[in-house]
Amino acid sequence: MRIRLDPWPVDTQDGQLTLKPFAGLVFNAETDRWAAIAPREVPSWLTRVLVVDGKRRMEARLLLDDEAGGLSLAGFGAYVAGAVDLCPHGSRQADLLKVVAQRVLAYSGDGGVTLEPTRLSPRNPHTGQLEYTPHAFAGTQLEGALGKVQRLMLDAEGDLSRRLAAALPLDEHDRAALPDTLVLQDGPVRIGGAGRAVLGCVKTLHTDYLGADRIGLLGTLKPGERTPVLRFRVGDQGGSQDSEGREQRFTWYVRLCDPPFYQHPLAGVMRLEMHAPEDSDFVPRAVLQVANLSGQLLCRLASTPHKDARAPQNLIPTAALEHAMDRAMGSAELVTRRIRSHLARELGQPTGAVA
Amino acid sequence: MTGPGADTANRIGMVLGTEDVMPTVFWFAVSAGASVQLDDLVVVQTRRPDGRTVRFFGLVDNVRKRHEGVTFESDVEDVVAGVLPASVSYAARVLVTRVDPENFIPPQPGDTVRHAHGDDLKMALSADKMGEASFPGGLLADGQPLPLNFRFVNGESGGHINISGISGVATKTSYALFLLHSIFRSGVMDRVAQASGGRMAGTSGGRAIIFNVKGEDLLFLDKPNSKVQKKEAEAQSGKGLDADRYTLLGLPMSPFQDTQFLAPPRAGTSGSAIVPHTDQRSEGVTPFVFTLREFCANRLLQYVFSDAGSSLNLGFVIGNIEEKLFRLASAQTGNGTGLSVDDWQVDLSETPPEDLEFGELGGVNLRTFDQLISYIEFKLLEDRDGEGDPKWVLKQAPGTLRAFTRRLRGVQKHLTPLIRGDLTASEAARYRPNLLSGAQLSVVDIHNLSGPAQMFVVGVLLRQVFDHKEKYGRQDTVFVVLDELNKYAPRDEGSPIKDILLEIAERGRSLGIILIGAQQTASEVERRIVSNAAVRVVGRLDLAEAERPEYRFLPQSFRARAGILQPGTMLVSQPDVPNPVLVNYPFPAWATRGDEVDDLAGRSVVEVGDDWLR
Repeated sequence: MRIRLDPWPVDTQDGQLTLKPFAGLVFNAETDRWAAIAPREVPSWLTRVLVVDGKRRMEARLLLDDEAGGLSLAGFGAYVAGAVDLCPHGSRQADLLKVVAQRVLAYSGDGGVTLEPTRLSPRNPHTGQLEYTPHAFAGTQLEGALGKVQRLMLDAEGDLSRRLAAALPLDEHDRAALPDTLVLQDGPVRIGGAGRAVLGCVKTLHTDYLGADRIGLLGTLKPGERTPVLRFRVGDQGGSQDSEGREQRFTWYVRLCDPPFYQHPLAGVMRLEMHAPEDSDFVPRAVLQVANLSGQLLCRLASTPHKDARAPQNLIPTAALEHAMDRAMGSAELVTRRIRSHLARELGQPTGAVA
Repeated sequence: MTGPGADTANRIGMVLGTEDVMPTVFWFAVSAGASVQLDDLVVVQTRRPDGRTVRFFGLVDNVRKRHEGVTFESDVEDVVAGVLPASVSYAARVLVTRVDPENFIPPQPGDTVRHAHGDDLKMALSADKMGEASFPGGLLADGQPLPLNFRFVNGESGGHINISGISGVATKTSYALFLLHSIFRSGVMDRVAQASGGRMAGTSGGRAIIFNVKGEDLLFLDKPNSKVQKKEAEAQSGKGLDADRYTLLGLPMSPFQDTQFLAPPRAGTSGSAIVPHTDQRSEGVTPFVFTLREFCANRLLQYVFSDAGSSLNLGFVIGNIEEKLFRLASAQTGNGTGLSVDDWQVDLSETPPEDLEFGELGGVNLRTFDQLISYIEFKLLEDRDGEGDPKWVLKQAPGTLRAFTRRLRGVQKHLTPLIRGDLTASEAARYRPNLLSGAQLSVVDIHNLSGPAQMFVVGVLLRQVFDHKEKYGRQDTVFVVLDELNKYAPRDEGSPIKDILLEIAERGRSLGIILIGAQQTASEVERRIVSNAAVRVVGRLDLAEAERPEYRFLPQSFRARAGILQPGTMLVSQPDVPNPVLVNYPFPAWATRGDEVDDLAGRSVVEVGDDWLR
């Protein structure tokens, strides 16, 4: 018997010990020869890499109580999407693009009520102001508020990625178009974002797109090496026509570091994703170029375990960005206190009693 | 608190909120593009809840930079490789020197920090309190002069200056001379005299006495320095100053004026000519001697014994003999400089001196120090078949008496050239050291003297000055510059010179005697002398020395820096400003060595040559 460690911290939602097979079809897009492809140098035409990520949190769960006696759920939350701007050749310092937190008052829109923007008047005039913009969500479920904040964050993240990335035409005629700016998007690429040079980085592997005959290659990849590019359709359930999925994607795997012997063999393997043109069986040259440089680039950005529990997949710029986003959202404890004292004031209670 | 957008033009930073902000010390974040260095003087204005403002003046005593937002030290590689975004945090710590008005509230994090210039600078250094009494004590790091308060130097509010530092690199004497130059030539004495209704003496009234204890360094103070132009030009360009440092300080770049140089005579036989014992400079140096009669009349015997305090009996004998000699001198009738005695039965002496001069009535005329000692030996040990003259012996044990004469014999060789009884009255007057009515600056060269003779000269001259000032009061401030205080006023032992120095330190300021003392290690000097100095200056220090309690007036960061100070840089602490300030001072405009003398006096070679040919 052999004991292996799951590479992910125990508080990560379902680790990486087992993979669920992908129900749909996966095609070889680049080549039929299933073997590791060596990394290539980052080409000089790529001058800018942006690492985009988002973060959200709930700051207070609320129970709204209208005059008619109806109860509905709501919550104060915050989200932020940001980016790190760096040069893949290391010729300049990495910068944080402006990281600003948005505050949300998410409430159930089913009751037909609308809410005014809520400003928490600070007790101490030196800590700035907090302003919550109301956003309604559908339904009355408990997780609705959190879901709404999450949705807003993902949208903001997607918008930011699209805005920052260079154009990446995916049709046959423009095979030579090479993007000078590449966006590394945390998680899979977003629906509707085709045509931009956005590379999705999936840190945790939950779905097996390869099948038993091909997945063995992942365990033998060396750092920087990648698998050939594959093509699949998002949401493909297999079988019937209407469950075919929504969008075509290219995907490939890259190994970022040699796994320690005691870990899961897939530790340090990352799945990458890019948009694919509909109904075509070729890989655009730009996508191929990005796949070629991805091993080299990501190995440079990979973190080390003593600095980050999610290393190497949680990239160094991502960790720094998360830190900056936490900072932009402010101290959760302080915000919660401000909310409490605001409510106390609104209810006419002396603030000292609850703050 | 200043709101956003308020006076950002001159802002060099904002008070940090992540470090404790206190009324006496705080940190500020240096704004991008601004440069803040140690010793910069800054001002912060904060607004109290009632709307009134409080200004904090201080000086930067620490600056630091670090990567902000990164956790690991190895992250610096990722930051430089352009992978990890991080910003450099540049922060400076301020020691507050003044709060105006005196509301000791802390500044508000986010308050604007500005460089102190003009009136702010005056406030930071309390120059506004000094008024006409301020004189330049050196240049601050940014090229502005440091005002020193003359009222804390001349004895009005405080007095005395103490300078500590390692020999050679701390340049204590140079700084003392610079201060004298500044006092004499900045006009501060006149201004202060005028402000106090003319009761205080003006520039012409101040005098300085310098004891030269090392080499002949100070015998050329009246000569221009041939290197000063070049050195000052170098300093001006090196430090990026607008003008040379003398101009910035408002002082003339010229040597000392109205000087006299005194040196002890060369040792020679009795009756030989008196020539000054100097090697590099012969003209313009006046030899000084004490007459035998003065020695007795002025009770100078005690200054021969630097260790008199070590034995009670010995002190008793010294006092007794001193009294006897004083009576002898008082009884002299002739106008000579020797001492006539009629109770010396020379034939009873064991080893009578050879060249004795006998008087008409059988008495003996003592003309040398040697003879005086022989006479005292006779009176103590040989008279009455070895019992001595009972009035002189006063029942002291022969052992004590022998110890006394043995010591006298020990210093005989050193003091013989200095104490002479063979001079005429007019010669005696010519060679009598005249420190208080001669030149403004008197240099007493004692470096060629042996230790006991140095002690004797310093002790005697200081006593004379003190006695004179006791009689005539505090007008005409006298500055006494004395290096190696640890030798003259050691912490642990007593001596007559230490007693005088203590008197000067404790009472001298009310009499107008100001001690500008210097030593390598303040910890080895009598504590009461150091602690009486109002202005304290520290040059380069040994780091172990800097941790001693004598330097507690320096904040910790300054004590650490005292170990790396360069020559020409001093830390100056004065009562008006609670924290010491780092200054540098200009290269001497006067020659400090024979080879530095500018023979051309600033003129070109051709010009001087023309003069010769004419």
